[in-house]
Amino acid sequence: MTEAPRSPFANGGLQMSRRGFLGSAAAFALAGGVLSGCSSPVGAGLVGTAIDPGTIQYWNLFGGGDGIRMEDMEAGFEKAYPKIGLESVTLAWGNPYYTKLSLATIGHKPPSVAISHLTRMKTLVAADLLQELRPDDLARFGMTADKFNQVAWKAGLVNGKVYALPLDTHPYVCFYNTAVCKKAGLLDSDGVLKPIEGQQAFLDALSRAKQASGQYGAVIPITNEVATPWRIFQSLYSQLGGQVLADNGTKIVLDDDKAQKVLTLLSTMSSKGLIPSIMDYQGSVALFASGKSGFLFQGEWEITTFQTAKTPFSMAPFPNVMGGKYAVQADSHTLVLPKNPQQTSDGLNRSLTFAKSLLDQSDTWAQGGHVPAWLPYRDSDKFAKLKPQSYYASAADSAAYDPEGWYSGSGSDFEIVIGSIIGAVMAGHSSPQSAIGEIRKKLQVLADTAPPI
Amino acid sequence: MAATTALETPADVAPARGAQAASHTKLFNRICLGVLLAFALLWLIPLLWAVDTSLKPNAETAQLPTTWVIHHPTLDSYRSILKQGDIWHWYAASFITSALTVVGTVFTASLCAFALSRLRFKYRGAILIFVLIGIMIPGQVLIVPLFREVSFMHLLNTYWAVALPQIPTAIAVFVFKQFFDALPIDLDEAARIDGASSWRIYTRVTMPLSRPVIAAVSIFTFIWSWNNLLWPLLVLSNPKLMTIPVGLATVQGNFGIRYADTMAASLLGALPLILLFLFFQRHIVEGIAGTGLKG
Amino acid sequence: MTTTEMTAPPPRAAIPPAETTTTGSPRVANRRVALGFVAPFVVLYLLFVILPALYGLLMSFFDTSLVKSGLGAFAGFGNYTEVLGSSDFWESMWHTVLFTILTTPPLVILSLFFALLAERAAHGRWFFRLAFFAPYILPSAVMALIWIWIYTPTLGLLDSALAKINITAPAWLGDPNWAMTSIAMATVWWTLGFNFVLYLAGLQEIPRELYEAAAIDGAGPWQQIRTITIPMLSRTTTLVVVLQVLASLKVFDQMYIMTAGGPNFSTRPALEYIYDIGFTDYRVGAAAAASTLFFVLVLAASSVWLILTRRQERLAS
Repeated sequence: MTEAPRSPFANGGLQMSRRGFLGSAAAFALAGGVLSGCSSPVGAGLVGTAIDPGTIQYWNLFGGGDGIRMEDMEAGFEKAYPKIGLESVTLAWGNPYYTKLSLATIGHKPPSVAISHLTRMKTLVAADLLQELRPDDLARFGMTADKFNQVAWKAGLVNGKVYALPLDTHPYVCFYNTAVCKKAGLLDSDGVLKPIEGQQAFLDALSRAKQASGQYGAVIPITNEVATPWRIFQSLYSQLGGQVLADNGTKIVLDDDKAQKVLTLLSTMSSKGLIPSIMDYQGSVALFASGKSGFLFQGEWEITTFQTAKTPFSMAPFPNVMGGKYAVQADSHTLVLPKNPQQTSDGLNRSLTFAKSLLDQSDTWAQGGHVPAWLPYRDSDKFAKLKPQSYYASAADSAAYDPEGWYSGSGSDFEIVIGSIIGAVMAGHSSPQSAIGEIRKKLQVLADTAPPI
Repeated sequence: MAATTALETPADVAPARGAQAASHTKLFNRICLGVLLAFALLWLIPLLWAVDTSLKPNAETAQLPTTWVIHHPTLDSYRSILKQGDIWHWYAASFITSALTVVGTVFTASLCAFALSRLRFKYRGAILIFVLIGIMIPGQVLIVPLFREVSFMHLLNTYWAVALPQIPTAIAVFVFKQFFDALPIDLDEAARIDGASSWRIYTRVTMPLSRPVIAAVSIFTFIWSWNNLLWPLLVLSNPKLMTIPVGLATVQGNFGIRYADTMAASLLGALPLILLFLFFQRHIVEGIAGTGLKG
Repeated sequence: MTTTEMTAPPPRAAIPPAETTTTGSPRVANRRVALGFVAPFVVLYLLFVILPALYGLLMSFFDTSLVKSGLGAFAGFGNYTEVLGSSDFWESMWHTVLFTILTTPPLVILSLFFALLAERAAHGRWFFRLAFFAPYILPSAVMALIWIWIYTPTLGLLDSALAKINITAPAWLGDPNWAMTSIAMATVWWTLGFNFVLYLAGLQEIPRELYEAAAIDGAGPWQQIRTITIPMLSRTTTLVVVLQVLASLKVFDQMYIMTAGGPNFSTRPALEYIYDIGFTDYRVGAAAAASTLFFVLVLAASSVWLILTRRQERLAS
């Protein structure tokens, strides 16, 4: 630790510039007050000691309804373990979150436990920023591999080692307006959406919904939005068995024929007016809530929005449109433990206790739409009765995660690059043919870049 | 430096050409005043709006139509921000890093400037030019290598990582040097005859005469350091260690769409500077005018 | 390292250099004593300015990674060709320049306008200084949070005010066509006070006799402003413009907080590009190359300043 720049101008310096220094004098007085109150952060800032040892520091990126439910779960933990201190921080979603997490870990002051998307966790592992979770440690807390959704669990392994505990899977799903779809004759006698199989059936369903709603068949945000265009593309393209990247992102293996089929379908949907060609995220939610569209294809997290808005709606897995083996774009929220040189075995136990407590509260988490990865709850009667969540829970077993690569994953450069090109096709600004060329060209730049990890 | 004292204005320079011209000028000045007043009020609106919002209950801020009227004035937002605790850590980090930077800058820059201004030695010219180069290098272009360096020194997530790189400010050396150059050297000579060392002259003669420039450099370094975002954002990644701007910019999630809380936290974050400004308004304004313009 | 850095003014003496008016000359001192005086500054300066500058330059020729120690593989000019060939880099440079173009004219013209008006006010100048200068001392984060709230769709102050006169407001920060303008407007509000104070000081420098003489010649107030005030303020104007341009080029905070460079990167400035590739993508070698290129831009702007001030000084003498 470096020493303070000693101030030998004690004689005259401070005294004569008293007025100029009033501010800093007050500063020291106040800082002193804080110092005596709770010494550890200030101690950490001055001499690098651990911050609040003995407590769990937990970082997440949940806003809105997820944020509120996560706070409930934190309160649940605090009630169950009143002796373990918990300090939780919510940081802005997306790249800034992962940047902060990386910098904190590089700077030796990481949180004890953090949320990471499964698709971003791989990069953190490759950068050597996460602790390996040893199976015997996990077993001590009853968190064995067989208790997790196997698709999420296996997708999260790196060279067979565990670095992340999946909390959920959040698949791309189908929201449908029950009033509109009933009018369009798309529901069965129980008021549940009849299965839609194949391109023709899909387009048919959308046109009938369009007639019934009087405006649009479905709505998908594409304006100022990159993630949703990527999600629907990845869902359809995966149903054809297509892959975008290989060898950790260093190779582009885009299948032009399959991509062409998917992009053509997407552009047909907007050119026929089945979906609006200008629509941002907030607008898409509002449009569906107001019944001007039969379907909304989006992540399941919007569930609470429509429950609150009292929209007549239900949910189903996104249909198998392309006819291959069923697949749908998804990601998982996972719990990770960043590397920390000041980690103790007590600290590890505290962190794992907390992780287990969150998994045990999967019921709270599932209210927000996410499909729980914790099988003891997922396979319970309680979850089976949770509707509409249980209608689409099977989608988690056919999750198509974003391809592996240092520039890929939720909210990444990859999604931004490919999502904006797909969005342009859906908006009618470019043809499927030229979009494929552009995807290749733009991704090549990323693929050719020497991986920093 | 007479920048701020109420000076005579062109308006006071009454035209000697009769009552008509005078009344013209008066009318013109009145119109000017009116226009300026309108703009000044416009300029105050965002701050007043922030204060207004912070005094509402959170729920009231999300009600339509948007209004200035506060139906249930409350200090709850301030209370909850202060109770929640993070802001105290941020205050501590901001005060400590800014104070370290101010003390370090004033001390090292004045000492260096004293030697460059008052002592004649072999490498004086070379050092002067060497320091001059620093003015041309904006700190922003150094963040990437500097981060690696500070990481290598194991200083990340300490206050030193924020303060130390902010201390060597070439511009401060020049401000001090210009001021010292203007001080009469006779006093030094008299002290020398009495057997005083250079150190003693610096502490007992030069610095006591330099109050205005010390005040100006201190206040500006303090404001600048307090408001700095990019560098502390990189090196302080733990919310408990963050400075006010970094904390406010990063931990927005804690406030969500609670607008009253957000505004209360913002105003609390700005409060020390607002107080500093109210107390040192004259110094600040003269500092800008003096060091920025005259000469 | 924010826009507020413009508080560091160019080195001008508060009092004219006095070496000529005082007796004697700087004392010849023991070299060791003298070096001892400069040492604290020079050591920190070497450590935190010169060393990183050289290290950054070196790093720009390697594929250095944030999460690995050492420089990594030698890349030659690879980082430079990559960055120079990247549309993202050029877009971010353009955003920085665009922001400078959008902010500089209003910040110079409005501050001059306000200062001219304030000069004529016989009373309450402290109030105007407070109103215009107070925003300047706010941290960027505070200013940004206040304006995010003002720009909030429907609920925000701006939208509700416009709704009263039946104007549908654009999505200030959400529309790529508006986001940069919205940030620029907030910035004008934030930093105008600094220029305002510079202009007020500049106005005090103008000898009263000039106005008196003009008044005797029958010049009205408007004529006086045009023929005396504005020409006499040309040095101040140069200073204000230059400080403003240099500060605007270094913009980062507003975008980082208000839009995170979005929507769709439509507001990402050069510094945020450097931040993104260096610290989000871990590619510090490439970020160092981008920093060097950005430095060239700032240096070019500074050179224009040097040339301008030189010429002005020559004209003055």
